Amino acid sequence: MARRKKADAEERRAYWTMVLPAFVIYLLVMAFPIILSVVLSVSDYSGGKMFGGEAWGFAGFGAYRRIFIDPYFWNALKNNGYIVLVSVFGQLPLGLIFAYLIYRRSVRWPDFWQGVLYVPNIISVIVVGLLWQTIFSPNGPIAEVMNRLYRADFIAKLQGIFDAAGGFQISDDLVRKILDVAGPAGSGYFSDPVPELKELILSYDPSQLSVVLNDLANLFARKWSPTFLTKPDVAMLPVLFVILWMYTGMYLILFLANMQKIDAQIIEAARIDGASDGQIMRFIILPALSGTIVNSAILAISGSLSSFALIFTMTGGGPSRVTEILSIYMYNNAFLGRPNFPLANAISLVMVLISFLLIALTKAVEKRFGGKE
Amino acid sequence: MSEEIKTTPLGRLAAALGRFFAYAAMGIFSLMTIYPIFWLVMNSFKTTREFQVSQLGWPKEPTLKNYAQAWEMGEFGKLFPNSIIYTAGATAGIILLALLAGFAFAKLKSRATRPMYGSFVIGILLTTNTLLIPLFLEMNLLGIYNTRFAVLLVYIGSGLPTAIYLCTEYIKSIPSALVESARIDGAGFLRIFWKIILPMAVPVATTVAILNITSIWNEFALINILVSKTELKSLPLGMFKFSGSLSTDYGKQFAALTIGMTPMLVFYVVFRKQITKGVAAGAVKG
Repeated sequence: MARRKKADAEERRAYWTMVLPAFVIYLLVMAFPIILSVVLSVSDYSGGKMFGGEAWGFAGFGAYRRIFIDPYFWNALKNNGYIVLVSVFGQLPLGLIFAYLIYRRSVRWPDFWQGVLYVPNIISVIVVGLLWQTIFSPNGPIAEVMNRLYRADFIAKLQGIFDAAGGFQISDDLVRKILDVAGPAGSGYFSDPVPELKELILSYDPSQLSVVLNDLANLFARKWSPTFLTKPDVAMLPVLFVILWMYTGMYLILFLANMQKIDAQIIEAARIDGASDGQIMRFIILPALSGTIVNSAILAISGSLSSFALIFTMTGGGPSRVTEILSIYMYNNAFLGRPNFPLANAISLVMVLISFLLIALTKAVEKRFGGKE
Repeated sequence: MSEEIKTTPLGRLAAALGRFFAYAAMGIFSLMTIYPIFWLVMNSFKTTREFQVSQLGWPKEPTLKNYAQAWEMGEFGKLFPNSIIYTAGATAGIILLALLAGFAFAKLKSRATRPMYGSFVIGILLTTNTLLIPLFLEMNLLGIYNTRFAVLLVYIGSGLPTAIYLCTEYIKSIPSALVESARIDGAGFLRIFWKIILPMAVPVATTVAILNITSIWNEFALINILVSKTELKSLPLGMFKFSGSLSTDYGKQFAALTIGMTPMLVFYVVFRKQITKGVAAGAVKG
């Protein structure tokens, strides 16, 4: 009896020795910040030492009221929603289709495709953000391709005008036609376009038409200037595109791994019975993956709440704050301009509450689908 | 495609079309990954002046100057060791703590298991990125802002929920008889942990390691609010320096990004199989 008691005491001691270090760290990193955010969100704390510094105290629920009337909050929430939508209706279906293509061996080198499509998840989000920012910028490869096309088109049009005039025959009419092609870039360049451009062209050697065309193209050919990074109403599109591109590979891996768990004989039997790919997908694979798909959708929501670095590097929340998501909205309220810590903490708590809702949703789904996936 | 359909000419055409679209879709998506990375690395060997004239062409006079300058400006010599310390330290800490707690939760009887294990599982969906500001204020309050200790603490705390879930579920599958017979032979629990659980838990430890190595090495949001001293910064913070006012100095920026991206790409090429498996196993919810 005594020995039994001693053994129990030993087990208890061992239990706490093994569990406490993890639990204390967990409390410090997850629980304590939540409590702190509750306290500070209803305070008038404005930075500096928390104890022994400037006195601060209870200040009511103004921060929450401010959030809910702040259009930037709703904008950020909406952007988080867009990210979830791109995940659920973009990454998930694409990942599922790619996984199925690899699974049914529609493509050769399955490891290669899987390997390449996952690469965006491996490299730092900072690299991804800065890289795509440059790609979409007026100095990127898209711009160069477009500018070459615009230029070739411009030169071809001028060539046509000169051909119609029968070579280097400069008349006011020809100059006007050139200005038409050049558009506002041309007429804006001169104070009195027709005579000035005429004089400019006449200053060239008539035998070197191609030099004239090239120089005019340098001056007036359209330049590709992407509006989607600077125009507020579409600024989210490149961000969402990059998000779609980034995480599709992750869902591909997830779905493929779970497809490979399905008994191959079932699918083989269905195929022998004449089932089409669509039917196999609908009646065998989708039901078998339903748990994984629901999980993925939940992961997508929590992923949108935790995303920060991509938008932080790609747009910084701009132009004029339209691409802010909740985490950046929170960050900017704390670190940009005059810090508003009560407000930032209130935002943090709102995000935590959304997470808790998500956890409750997971529990409900688990009950419905039964058991752990 | 059933065999019957495949033998008719129309069926063969449909199959060929299907294959074509499969390759086209995969090809486009892969190209969107391979080309930008290739483009980045290629342009990192051009001077910024050459880049502004030609973004698509091969570098005419390849230069390594960008790398030398980026290395110096980004102070990568300081950041590399830091990234290694944070990644190795936090990953080792997470594995050890998660296996210990997982062993206790899975094999030792206690009424505390239900609530405590439950609270860890809830944490899987509660990402620390939602707590950026309170964490920043807490570290100031505790007086450990701008210390490696704070970074390791936060990284370990963020990684624990998923790791503990994976470890507990894995250790549950180890036969309890092994533990019990060792107990009868008079072995203490910590000894059982070292001699029996740890060797058997290598697969789950590998999964946890892989999930955390990639995410901690690339982590930005948390360390961005935890440290401001260059001596304590990690690679992603160093790369971020090349955005903003430096972002139009393309040559240096591309070199910096290539420097920062290469270690993980190498890691991925070497451990691709394990990483793929780990990702599939680690995508869990609460």
